[in-house]
Amino acid sequence: MNLTPDPWIWIAAFLTLMIFSFLYKDNPFYKFAEHLFVGVANGYYIALYWHNTLRPNLYDPLSAGNFIYFVPLLLGLMYFTRFIPRIGWLVRIPIGFMIGWGAGISIPAYFQADLLKQLQGTIVTPNSFLNPLEGIWAVIILIGVVCTLIYFYFSKEHTGILKPTARLGIIFIMIGFGASFGYTVMARVSLLIGRIQFLLGPWLGLIE
Amino acid sequence: MKWYDRITQIDRRIIYLLLTLFIILPLFIPFKIPQNVMPQTQQLFDFVDSIPPGDEVVLLALDYTPQTAPECHPMAIALLKHCFARKVPVIGVSFDPQGPGLAVEAITSVIREVNENARTREDSVIYGTDCVYLGWKSGRVAALLQMGESVPQVFPVDYYGTPIDSLPLMLRVGNYKDVAIAINIASAAYPDDWIRYPQSRYGVKVGAGLTAVMAPKYYPFVQTGQLSGMMSGMKGAAEYEHLIVKHGYTDDSGTAETGMNSQSMIHILIIVFIVLGNIGYFFSRRGVKQ
Repeated sequence: MNLTPDPWIWIAAFLTLMIFSFLYKDNPFYKFAEHLFVGVANGYYIALYWHNTLRPNLYDPLSAGNFIYFVPLLLGLMYFTRFIPRIGWLVRIPIGFMIGWGAGISIPAYFQADLLKQLQGTIVTPNSFLNPLEGIWAVIILIGVVCTLIYFYFSKEHTGILKPTARLGIIFIMIGFGASFGYTVMARVSLLIGRIQFLLGPWLGLIE
Repeated sequence: MKWYDRITQIDRRIIYLLLTLFIILPLFIPFKIPQNVMPQTQQLFDFVDSIPPGDEVVLLALDYTPQTAPECHPMAIALLKHCFARKVPVIGVSFDPQGPGLAVEAITSVIREVNENARTREDSVIYGTDCVYLGWKSGRVAALLQMGESVPQVFPVDYYGTPIDSLPLMLRVGNYKDVAIAINIASAAYPDDWIRYPQSRYGVKVGAGLTAVMAPKYYPFVQTGQLSGMMSGMKGAAEYEHLIVKHGYTDDSGTAETGMNSQSMIHILIIVFIVLGNIGYFFSRRGVKQ
């Protein structure tokens, strides 16, 4: 065993153990670590936003006499009018501004990247069969997309041809859920492995 | 209590203990489970491997948090080692507020490692000439769009406050036209914006390194070519580490490849628990019916 003399690693190790103690049952050590985390995270975010956003993008230009920056300052302050019921309606102005900007910037991008390109990726063309194996996968993707969409088509009762296709749709959905669940388990285990590697490596010096 | 009831009611603390043991033991017992490299990881590696040295840059967006570092940090380190070994310049950015700390740690540790083994200037990595970290920026979408016009306008100074026009690497990087590929290592849905804006609008090649939870969502983007490769979770990181060792870019396998031994053991344990749980459920239901 080759224990580290670095106090920060000791602090990190003890906080990790405090959080892990919740696996046994809720206790004051866990609560202490949890509250400390919330406090530290808040402090970090406040400092980060001040030094990287508010100061260079608002405070410094205003200090330099660039008074056009009063417009975003005013819009930002309007968010706080929610706390004053008499003038609370003013909050709609910055919200409207943000929704207008957000929708304008996002809608064409969503259509292009998430809808049209994905639709294009689903369509089977003769080129899809240049590699026979990829051709088979392209057909499976097409069947999967169509059947899943039919499963979510509720305007007509699932009878006749709609019944088996919707059933097939469920199978595709379940396979998707299975893959997601498997990946989620892998992700959570990875995080535990990372922490144990930290405890056994940098802290206890038992592994490299 | 019947045997089948017992196996469906195992104390969760016993399960936690077994999980911990199955993670710890493979870290001490030297054995190696072979890595089967998935096509999307190979695709990303091949793309980075094909960038002409010293020409275009790799834009590395490091947007992961300490919670997800075991999955994402080895990806960043493996990618940096690959780029530096091939003399491909790297520009780092972050749009996640928690990104900068880990990004700086990854970049400085890899630069230190490369420089310790360097014998000539050509072998070493110099900050400002071969690599720059621009730091964190709020307003991700606006920044991504503006970087298509001018990177220095979005980041007038680097992470350390150095004016960008005093860094030799940044003098030859104007906008996305000088970027070979933008790789987003992320623990949240940041790659969505890289696909929607730099990829769709400016035609930038985009790759991704994702936590395993996020991976299923992004497979369709690899299929359509919107992502030019992807690493999924610790497995993806281990695959990339395996590839850079296999191609002789480094001698060390990273933490992800070591962690995958524990990961495989845990998966076997979980499968056993799922089977046991289902056997218990099946027999207890049959017992109730009788």
